Amino acid sequence: MVGQTGVKKALWVSAFLGPSLLALLAFSIGPMVGTLWVSLQDWNLIRDAEFIGLDNYRELWGDEDFHRALRNTLYYLVGYLPLALVGGLGLALLVNSKLKGVAVFRAMYFLPVVTSWVVVALLWKWLLNPSDGLVNWLLGLVGIDGPGWWTSRTWAMPSVILASAWKDLGFVMIILLAGLQSIDESLYEAAKIDGAGAWQRLRSITIPMLTPSLFFVTVISLINGFQVFDQVWVMTDGGPAGSSTVVVEQIVKNTFTFGRAGYASAMSVVLFVIILVVTALQLRMQKRWVFYG
Amino acid sequence: MADLALAPTPTDTEPSGGSIGRADQPLPGWSGYRRRARLVGRYTVMVACAVLMVGPFVWMVLAALRTDADIRSVPPTLFPDPVTGENFTRVTEAFDFWRFTANSIGIAIASTILQLATATAAAYAFARIQFKGRNLLFALYLATMMIPLQVVIVPLFIEMRNLGLVDSYAALLLPTIVSSFGTFLMRQAFLGLPSELDEAAFIDGANHFQVFTKVLLPLVKPALATFAVFAFMATWNSFLWPLVITQASDRHVTLPVGLSRLNGRFGTDWNVVMAGSVISIAPIVVFYAFTQRWVIRSVAYTGMK
Amino acid sequence: MNTSRNHRTGHRLAALAAALALVAGACGSDDDTGDSPAAGTETTDGSDTSGSDEEVTISYFTFSAAPDHLEDLDAIIAAFEEENPNINIEPQTASYDDYFTSLQTQIAGGTAPDTFELNYENFVTYARSGALLDLGSAGIDTARYYPLALEGFQDGGTQYGLPATFSDVVLIYNTALFDEAGLDYPSPDWTWDDYLVAAEALTDADAGVYGGFQPVSFFEFYKSLAQAGGEFFDADGNATFNSEAGVAAAEWLTSKPGTVMPTLADIGGTPDFDTNLFQSGKLAMWHNGIWQFNGLNESGVAYDIEVEPGMAQQANAVFMNGVVASADTEHAEAAAKWIEFFASSPTTVDTRLASSWELPAVDDEAAFASYLEITPPQNRQAVIAALDNIALPPVIERQAEMQEIVGQALERIVLDGADIQSTLDDAAAEVDALR
Repeated sequence: MVGQTGVKKALWVSAFLGPSLLALLAFSIGPMVGTLWVSLQDWNLIRDAEFIGLDNYRELWGDEDFHRALRNTLYYLVGYLPLALVGGLGLALLVNSKLKGVAVFRAMYFLPVVTSWVVVALLWKWLLNPSDGLVNWLLGLVGIDGPGWWTSRTWAMPSVILASAWKDLGFVMIILLAGLQSIDESLYEAAKIDGAGAWQRLRSITIPMLTPSLFFVTVISLINGFQVFDQVWVMTDGGPAGSSTVVVEQIVKNTFTFGRAGYASAMSVVLFVIILVVTALQLRMQKRWVFYG
Repeated sequence: MADLALAPTPTDTEPSGGSIGRADQPLPGWSGYRRRARLVGRYTVMVACAVLMVGPFVWMVLAALRTDADIRSVPPTLFPDPVTGENFTRVTEAFDFWRFTANSIGIAIASTILQLATATAAAYAFARIQFKGRNLLFALYLATMMIPLQVVIVPLFIEMRNLGLVDSYAALLLPTIVSSFGTFLMRQAFLGLPSELDEAAFIDGANHFQVFTKVLLPLVKPALATFAVFAFMATWNSFLWPLVITQASDRHVTLPVGLSRLNGRFGTDWNVVMAGSVISIAPIVVFYAFTQRWVIRSVAYTGMK
Repeated sequence: MNTSRNHRTGHRLAALAAALALVAGACGSDDDTGDSPAAGTETTDGSDTSGSDEEVTISYFTFSAAPDHLEDLDAIIAAFEEENPNINIEPQTASYDDYFTSLQTQIAGGTAPDTFELNYENFVTYARSGALLDLGSAGIDTARYYPLALEGFQDGGTQYGLPATFSDVVLIYNTALFDEAGLDYPSPDWTWDDYLVAAEALTDADAGVYGGFQPVSFFEFYKSLAQAGGEFFDADGNATFNSEAGVAAAEWLTSKPGTVMPTLADIGGTPDFDTNLFQSGKLAMWHNGIWQFNGLNESGVAYDIEVEPGMAQQANAVFMNGVVASADTEHAEAAAKWIEFFASSPTTVDTRLASSWELPAVDDEAAFASYLEITPPQNRQAVIAALDNIALPPVIERQAEMQEIVGQALERIVLDGADIQSTLDDAAAEVDALR
């Protein structure tokens, strides 16, 4: 292509790339390196840092609170993902039509996605309030004695999962809808001619053809899920009694309440590695189950 | 029975989607009845889902209008009785929610503009300028998409501290400028434009800047809009970093953080907390009401990539 | 005046001082000679010399002033600024729940306030963290304070702060509810059992009226532990709160939610839940501190106070707040002046006593006489009586983590019905690991 060469080009590249690259180095890559470095220190952000090598990691290995946080994060993902995928798929199938007003419904289902996690978490905290919340009252109408939800050690994490899946249904729906609308109609026709029933068409055509979109949603959800924080912080504050604590919450607490920035950084590194590994695994396994027609 | 929720069949009264569903003549009699039943069924389910998805927000607004006694009454009543606006007063008395709103709006707009500017410029360089190491550098950009903010808050905080920017607008704004995703998006958009356009312009004596601004940018408006929507929403709703960096005072607090402080102050006084929530989402809901078609389209567009 | 009351007051204040001595010895360092620490205030910029004409602004961050005593704070500031026309004080307030996060962030972020308030249990953490200014011996009239209250804000022999106030926790009860039920008011020799009997009689959950509210928290636990005759740490610093007394204390605390007080779920972590409950006349007995008096008086609820019931012995929680300066302040001398004025000037003492804003930690028996005259509550004497048997907070450097461990252990007991002995054993092991 036409363009200057040499110094002039270098200047142009710097001009266009410069700001973005600078921001990247300063606020993403640089801090990443910084996290690694701080994780090898014992530091309260006030005194001078003290180099302690891998001691923070050794401590993490035996830290029951951190293990619980990891387990809870996994618990969150295992609960959230199926709910969001199945619910989102259901909605997508529902709104996949040209019926009058369907765009309005789509917009309504998507509404929770644009609101902040804080609002959603507080809203659900209220809905799931054991004594006078709407959910327990409704459950009571059908004779079920509603649990303590976010005030109960067993139900705190499920409460967070429920609220989170609800919020993201609209997002999954839109992604899967786009996928649905690109499925070739002739496939269905052929299946019908072969006598395949509705269920079978879903299982053999719809879902396999949707796997690219499903894959996309899964990858995004996993990456976001490992970093879950906002709704936990606001809904349960990691409680009661630490039963819903997650990794990022531990990071924040250790930095700003306990004054252990080095230890918190070690947690950050571990979290980052986990996300990398899981994503890499996913990309690797893509070939196994994602069908690019 | 009615296969409402399953793959659309050609028996819908209207064709659904480009290649899905065939136009069909409405037939009288039995099949017409079945079709209408399916239609009604489908609408019913859609309305039920709408209640599930939007209902809680309505419940939230109602809660914001209830008195202390009413909010705790069991069984819950549908409409508040009496209706009161005092919760909103209590919210603004406890915290300066006007300031929080202004902060949120200001930061979101500034961040969106900065993101658009830097990422699009970078995307141009990646898409339109051949230079050594271009692919490697772009791979680096992609790689950083994997670095979540949560992982770097400690050093980011330290950085802000060293710059003397803790609890400042600059600190709120600067880390949001990083937008590898936006760069990726815009690069895709530029790659879709034929290079003849550039060449023609260069022959006419334009430089890179003019090609960028006058020739290419106008052609990627949809992608820009998508990017802007994402950037705005993400910044508006961001919580962790603003929480951490504004802990020192109330001056730079944004709406999500302000709401969480309200929650800390009022705990289970749900009517007040819901009033605060209403204030917090009102701007974004209004924004969404006007732009929802764009927003939804943008999300679908990203899913396709 | 009632001289015998003053006499007893004097004795009790001496007892407070003695208790402080015990604890200061335990948690202070070995080389605590009690002498004034070395080196006067070195100022980093030459402009801040004594008698300088430059105007200086000092920030002061506090949690104890809002919301009830902002006017008192302003009055003290006004008096100081009048005496020191070149120094302006800029107050910042936060509620107790938000205070330490904000403070920690400000310090870590390099924007620490020039002077700020610290309570006794957090002092050691901050002193050891390097955030505090050595106040040196710059013009501090140390005779004015209880020598051992002074030690409460020393670490390793260095004076980092001045004691500003102390306050204690008493049993606050609603006289109207007791009258209606025809029950005798609490007396100084009540035990937990007497308390429980009354609380149960006064509880009417359907009407939303509760008999006795005692938060299930670290603070209530170490106090109940003492009341049951136990110790949080032994002489070697090992955690011993999982003793029989500890189990009894935990049992006592965790058995009340859902019976004579709302469940933890009802409270939902709302701060001031109990304050609102009591002020609206729906709570018969309340374990809380003397800092509540002003708010209660304004709310108009009929109440009086008594010393808390004990079990094996009496033990009452006493809290101390002090004022410190940031190690990074640019106006060290002005800061020291303000700190001293705020801690012990006659204006401060009078203002505090007149509006029941905690009690100044000054060695001034006569001043307290006026405090006892103010009613309600009628039985102000109980505030002083509580000082006969003190339970000071256990303090270690990693205080925040210790409080979280104990708090979570108690929550687990309440919510899961976890076995008390083993939960406390685990918690004790975790606390030991912190040291």
